[in-house]
Amino acid sequence: MNFNVKDIEQFQTQKQFIDTAIVPLMQLNLSDEGMKQSSSAVEYLMTLTMFIEQQFRGRVMLMPPFSYTDRTKNELLPMQLQEELHSTGFKSVIFITCDHFWSKKNENLNVLWLPAIPLESMDKTVKQRILEDQLKQIIPVLTEAWV
Amino acid sequence: MSNNRVTRRQFLTYTITGVGGFMAAGMLMPMVRFAIDPVLQTKAEGNLVLTSQKIADITDVPVKVDFTFEQTDGWYKSDVTEAAWVYHDGNEIVALSPVCKHLGCTVNWEGDPAHANQFFCACHAGRYEKNGKNVKGTPPLGPLDQYEVAEKDGYLMLGKKIANTFS
Repeated sequence: MNFNVKDIEQFQTQKQFIDTAIVPLMQLNLSDEGMKQSSSAVEYLMTLTMFIEQQFRGRVMLMPPFSYTDRTKNELLPMQLQEELHSTGFKSVIFITCDHFWSKKNENLNVLWLPAIPLESMDKTVKQRILEDQLKQIIPVLTEAWV
Repeated sequence: MSNNRVTRRQFLTYTITGVGGFMAAGMLMPMVRFAIDPVLQTKAEGNLVLTSQKIADITDVPVKVDFTFEQTDGWYKSDVTEAAWVYHDGNEIVALSPVCKHLGCTVNWEGDPAHANQFFCACHAGRYEKNGKNVKGTPPLGPLDQYEVAEKDGYLMLGKKIANTFS
């Protein structure tokens, strides 16, 4: 499910089935040197989470990305977002990010850190294969959350 | 003067007929072209999409075939990749849509080791038989959709989604 009216209407009638929220945590680097790399990571994360949504759309709600810059980065905010999502009825909340910052402090957050892969330089079939490989790594995380 | 010499009068007649003919043709051609245009328009192959799957390589074990087509969403054109589970059933090729009839997840062939020879949806443990028929007692309420299939130069072509023909 995506966070749009059509899917939300379906979500509200099928709440017992859609119990997982996926939140992409995106770091925006606005400096001259970091901007390009940051956009590449964002592109990768967007494509990957959209692919996950396509595969598991009956159980997963893909939230709009939670983005922050160096100065608006706050480790408490995802925690609060998680609490709110829990009270909306999502049993599990999974954060996906390419930012190392979150990989260290994951006691209370279910954060999945993935290295950013530059998809922009790949042709379509290679891209598809890489996304499928990445998905295979994510499936155990999901099934672990679902048992 | 020999007899086959062209007279001034004849020359003028020929010239005027020729030039007039060209002018008439110039006016009539676009009209005729517009009139018969609907007949000449190609049907875009009935929206069949060519895949990279060779017909000869299809066995009776379902394989996933990805195919890409262009989707227009308002002004925004994007390439959409979809997949189909394709296998041989007797002499027929069957292409099933991998979209679960429950809430739209993607099903996998033998995705659950406990249930061989079935399609499995990881989201809510929905199961389908090989022909796409939903297994009673699992969440899905209907059979998997099918794709129209065709062949071109030995490669598989997939058309639009149709209701499952096995049930």
